[in-house]
Amino acid sequence: MSDVLHVLRCMGFAELSRIADAVGLTEGETESGLIDLAVDGLVTREMGAWGLTAAGRAEDLRRTSAELRAAGAAGAVESAYGRFLVLNPELLDLCSAWQLRSVDGVAVANDHRDTAYDGRVLELFGDLDRRAEVVCAELAKALPRFGRYRERLASALGRARGGALEELADSMTSYHVVWFQLHEDLLVTLGRPRT
Amino acid sequence: MIRALGPAVDAPADTIGGKAAGLVTLMRLGLPVPAGFVVDVAAGRAFLRDGQMPSGLEAARDALGVDAVSVRSGAAVSMPGMMATVLDVRGPVTPAVREIFGSWNTARARAYRTLHGIPHDLGTAVVVQAMVYGDRDSHSGSGVAFSRDPTTGAREPYGDLLFGGRGDDVVSGRAVTLPLPVLADREPAVWAELTEALSVLEKHFRDACHVEFTVEPGRLWLLQVRPGGLTARSAVRVAVDLAGEGLIDRREAVRRISPQRLRAAAVPRLLAGDLLARGRGASPGVATGRVAVTADRAVRMAADGPVILVRPETSPLDLHGLAAATGIVTNRGGLASHAAVVARSLGRPAVVGATDLLLPEGTVISIDGTSGAVVRGNPGLTPAVADTHLHRLLSWADDISGDRSPRSGEERLAAAHAKG
Repeated sequence: MSDVLHVLRCMGFAELSRIADAVGLTEGETESGLIDLAVDGLVTREMGAWGLTAAGRAEDLRRTSAELRAAGAAGAVESAYGRFLVLNPELLDLCSAWQLRSVDGVAVANDHRDTAYDGRVLELFGDLDRRAEVVCAELAKALPRFGRYRERLASALGRARGGALEELADSMTSYHVVWFQLHEDLLVTLGRPRT
Repeated sequence: MIRALGPAVDAPADTIGGKAAGLVTLMRLGLPVPAGFVVDVAAGRAFLRDGQMPSGLEAARDALGVDAVSVRSGAAVSMPGMMATVLDVRGPVTPAVREIFGSWNTARARAYRTLHGIPHDLGTAVVVQAMVYGDRDSHSGSGVAFSRDPTTGAREPYGDLLFGGRGDDVVSGRAVTLPLPVLADREPAVWAELTEALSVLEKHFRDACHVEFTVEPGRLWLLQVRPGGLTARSAVRVAVDLAGEGLIDRREAVRRISPQRLRAAAVPRLLAGDLLARGRGASPGVATGRVAVTADRAVRMAADGPVILVRPETSPLDLHGLAAATGIVTNRGGLASHAAVVARSLGRPAVVGATDLLLPEGTVISIDGTSGAVVRGNPGLTPAVADTHLHRLLSWADDISGDRSPRSGEERLAAAHAKG
């Protein structure tokens, strides 16, 4: 089972539905897990959103580093992180290209009326996603909980291909947001600050 | 083919790349450029085709007679930040040139070309120059200098400067830079030489331009020059001013502003105020609010009015704060950073890379997500129609088209362009 505490650690503050989706459990199961964590003082609920307490962050750090040690996976995660960092600027370029277009040297919002342009960006996303899949597979082999990212990324891309334009870079369930959380997860797992 | 850089080189950017063509122009104008040579675009294409490296590379490197060199890419079209740069190379230069030729085909560079319609078989040239050191001592430095303010178009040199640092530290936004005019006090002779060079370059290009430069103790070096680089509104002002200065005629001034640029110039912008920092505009729009320095504080403070979230950079843990904030400022990161992507997705104005901004919580500031300006308080917006430069340009457009009927600015410009 995915760890609700750790998933929430990588998401920040989030509503139940988003957490359940990220964990891959029903809302009922997820809420039950969150309530147990709240009883232990590890998470809190404010203004409709769940988030970690300071104690929760410390506990997650302890569990995550113990898990990494027990699995002997530090080397594998480290090398996958190196490959992730090669893909990260490309992903951010593509998100930016999806949101903004340069018209005569002026950056303007992409109004998505040029379907040929959108098609090119989407195709490049697909190409990047195939390489991201390899990195995710390496990570899942080292620590199975990373497998959920693959499912979430593929699902976001599938929705975007199906016409949900906001699912690449512009929604809270978008490819970019899942990627951003994967980035955070790698930093937390390896005990790195965001530099 | 390998050519020594010098004023006599007679080859277009298609052949030797844009960077080398700019360096040749600098040399022709008698401006200081480190000695070097260019491995041309044809050699880059040959490498991409069959992995073959040009002959004579090490002989050309030895002929420079220096311990260390810089090795930079330079294609016929600009692909900023996409290819490798190798600095401070001692010994053989072949591996560095091979690395840069090879970096043409990174996935990221390929994606950039696909998006911008640049052919994949175009290839890049490589420029090898004697290494100059901006990090030698406190009288050394590196910077970027614009002949005119790229945001306002005002006729005064503008730029960023880092004493004791290298150019890549300035461009990356990693280091805290100083405003260019500081050079006037610290190194007056270098400042005089630099401003004179900018003036010479404007006359040559008949346009505003910008250079990358390095200062070694008492000595100025120019490493790159490019014309343009202005925001839309400043481009209007510069075109009108250049006509006033006699560098171009009115017809040319009108020709330089496209209807798209005119539309962008009409977007309301922050009035000049007490400038606290200038980063890069990452998500267009203007916002005013009280500074919150954590995402949690942004959420709480937003209940009492608009908030600008100011963060070193952002992580997913900031997402709820970004959503609660009216505007976003980061100290680090560029136009394609997680923060920039999220800000645009939320439709929030954002300024990224405002390196030197450090403010107490609650301070009221305004940000301009186009120009990158961060100012104290709320100076208000520029009226969209009261721009005197814009009016003058459009009246020139009417003179050309001979049509003075009331129409939109874009139509007036298009009518003038149709007359050539």
